[in-house]
Amino acid sequence: MRRIFAQTRKELTQIIRDYRTLALALLLPLVLLMLLGAAISLTVDNLPIVVQDLDQTAASQNFIDAFRASVTFHVVYWPVDRQPADALTSNKARAVLIIPNDFGRDIARGINAPVQLLVDGSDSNTARLVAGDASQITEAFNAGAANGRGQPVVAAMRFWYNPGRSSKKFYGPGIFVLGLSMFPPLLAALAMAKEGEQKTILQVYVSSISAHEFLLGKIFAFMVVAFAECLLMLALLFTYFGLSLAGDPTPFLVATVAYAFCVAAFGIMIGAAIPSQAAALQAVALGGFLLVFLLSGLIYPIENIPVALRWLSNLIWGRYYIEIVRDALLQGGGWPANWYKVLEIMVTGAIFYGLAWRTMRRMQVRA
Amino acid sequence: MKKFFQSVFNYRVRALVQKEFRQIRRDRRLAISLILPPTLQLILFGFALSATVSDIRLGVVDDSRTPESRELVATLTESKSFTSAGNYFSVDQIGDALSRNKLDAAVVIPYDYARDLQRGRPVTVQFLLNAMNANTAAIAQGYAEGVLASYNSGLVGQGIHANFQQISAPTVSHRGLVALMPIYLFNPGLVASWFIVTGVFGLLLILNGSIVASAAMVKERERGTIEQLLMSPASTSEIIIAKIAPLFILLCMMVLFAIGVIRVVFNVPFHGGLLLILGGAALCILCGISIGTVIATFSKSAEQAQLTSFFVNPPLSTLSGAFYPIEGMPHALQRLTVLNPVYHFVVISRAALLKGSGMSSLWPNFLALFGFTLVLVVLSVWRFRKQLS
Repeated sequence: MRRIFAQTRKELTQIIRDYRTLALALLLPLVLLMLLGAAISLTVDNLPIVVQDLDQTAASQNFIDAFRASVTFHVVYWPVDRQPADALTSNKARAVLIIPNDFGRDIARGINAPVQLLVDGSDSNTARLVAGDASQITEAFNAGAANGRGQPVVAAMRFWYNPGRSSKKFYGPGIFVLGLSMFPPLLAALAMAKEGEQKTILQVYVSSISAHEFLLGKIFAFMVVAFAECLLMLALLFTYFGLSLAGDPTPFLVATVAYAFCVAAFGIMIGAAIPSQAAALQAVALGGFLLVFLLSGLIYPIENIPVALRWLSNLIWGRYYIEIVRDALLQGGGWPANWYKVLEIMVTGAIFYGLAWRTMRRMQVRA
Repeated sequence: MKKFFQSVFNYRVRALVQKEFRQIRRDRRLAISLILPPTLQLILFGFALSATVSDIRLGVVDDSRTPESRELVATLTESKSFTSAGNYFSVDQIGDALSRNKLDAAVVIPYDYARDLQRGRPVTVQFLLNAMNANTAAIAQGYAEGVLASYNSGLVGQGIHANFQQISAPTVSHRGLVALMPIYLFNPGLVASWFIVTGVFGLLLILNGSIVASAAMVKERERGTIEQLLMSPASTSEIIIAKIAPLFILLCMMVLFAIGVIRVVFNVPFHGGLLLILGGAALCILCGISIGTVIATFSKSAEQAQLTSFFVNPPLSTLSGAFYPIEGMPHALQRLTVLNPVYHFVVISRAALLKGSGMSSLWPNFLALFGFTLVLVVLSVWRFRKQLS
């Protein structure tokens, strides 16, 4: 036990004395969380829209006013002598609303008047939101005009867990996990590969420390780094992102300890397997960043990944932790919803540790 | 022109270029990392990232238990957007299922649903949406309202619910309704990968360019062979040209490869001129190489260069609009994107490939990209020279 903590202390001293790794460990996750948390959002507002009013009557002006009043759209000027589709190709607008000649007359006569909406489909998700919002505005306009002759069935929408539909609250926990999956293993792999590269590992072999003690000492050190990051980022989540704990926090606490172990063991494993700092860095960047970024439902839902790739996401440790953090901060499902995810993280951590230990033992034989 | 070309690529430079090519060819890892990862990443990103919302798991609490309410549920679940995920007996149960992530949405039909419909009174049906993911919730709301609107128009027209029309229709003449006809231009099938692939392409060019360049630049320094280069009769600018030219050529090959993947694997239409894309891509590569060179001049070893790039790459990729629309960002950040070369190339590649825009509308982006390239190349040459002397 004493030897383990001595190893941990030595490792932490090494981290603190290198300003570049210290900045990487503590500053960069915060910057990343701020930047990505503010930047990632698939829901858009203030989209430029061009209106071509060929009718120029009071009815058409009323209809356009409904669009002017919406937060989603922002009506921009477009000269009448230019093709409306040009506004889309030149990136001046994301949609064009065309009101035909007889709009006002048709409405007054009780005939349904068609209105065309050209949507820039190059961003498919935004296009869907634009069309949805435009049709909701039109529905509202129709309902207002149809005095009393309202819709028979009305939907009352309630948005649970995130009533303001704030993107920040959904992506914040995800980026928190991304930071934890990337920086502690990065430092761990660097430290471990450095021992191999500079051959200081030989000193470890000749000392009385055992492979388990050595590995656990290193892992504890990087768990401390992970906890420090965790506290800093949680402080940011609770203040800037306006999140708070929902429901029972114990699954989150247990999972955080397990996850810190898991990512530290992952880094140590990579560092032990690849005794070159540059190559180990690349491997961790690939495993920690790319896989968690792509296959854990961080930005885009897992259900949309083609089946051939989707099974891979079941192996990604970050995926379970993202779900647990989101649950703890937004949904509050507690143990019944999360026990198996915590178990998955623990099993993955144990596998990483086992693999690291095996490589260590082999290295000892080889040296 | 020819004279200028000859003076730039004189025999010393040619010899150095040859040396670089041989070095890259013999360092198989560098050669592979030039071509393979970008293409793989392009495929992976294109397939894995999609914001499409379909098969929303819908739970039902039907307190009415009448043919009318079952018809509403059937209308909702027969659309592709929703799938039925079971019936529940109380709102508490369904709330529990929502919090355990067994459902994405729930609909609660009140006990007096059928009675009110027959009496011609408007009925309110409650939808509960798991809004954790704001985007999914917004799209699900759109779907639900769309389905209800078409259900309503069926009710008001002919059919078993003709009562509603009779009772509620006002005797006075009514106004016509506005019928919105949306058309999706440039991507009528709303294929999500077209958005991602055209964006990620530019990002990969710059990031890979910088990684490869910094690795190649820092190597001479790490091994100490840079002294030998300095002893040779070649001037510093000749050394730099010889360093950049082979990387540039290899990365251009990578561009052609990636464009092939975009066309063949993802079926992205090529509406605009290919020359626009290639020109933009060439500028992007130069940007990437320059960024890598600058990073390399600040680092003593390969892993230091990589660590430094962790501070440079996240802002570049976050503020590029490659993965998510710029319009979703706060305004202060939106303005910052103008300072990002990746952003300009993303705009160019999307507009040129999908929309068929020409130089007439893309010139500001080209100008900006060109400006950044110029500044970065000058900066990297200056840093490299300073480091050499």
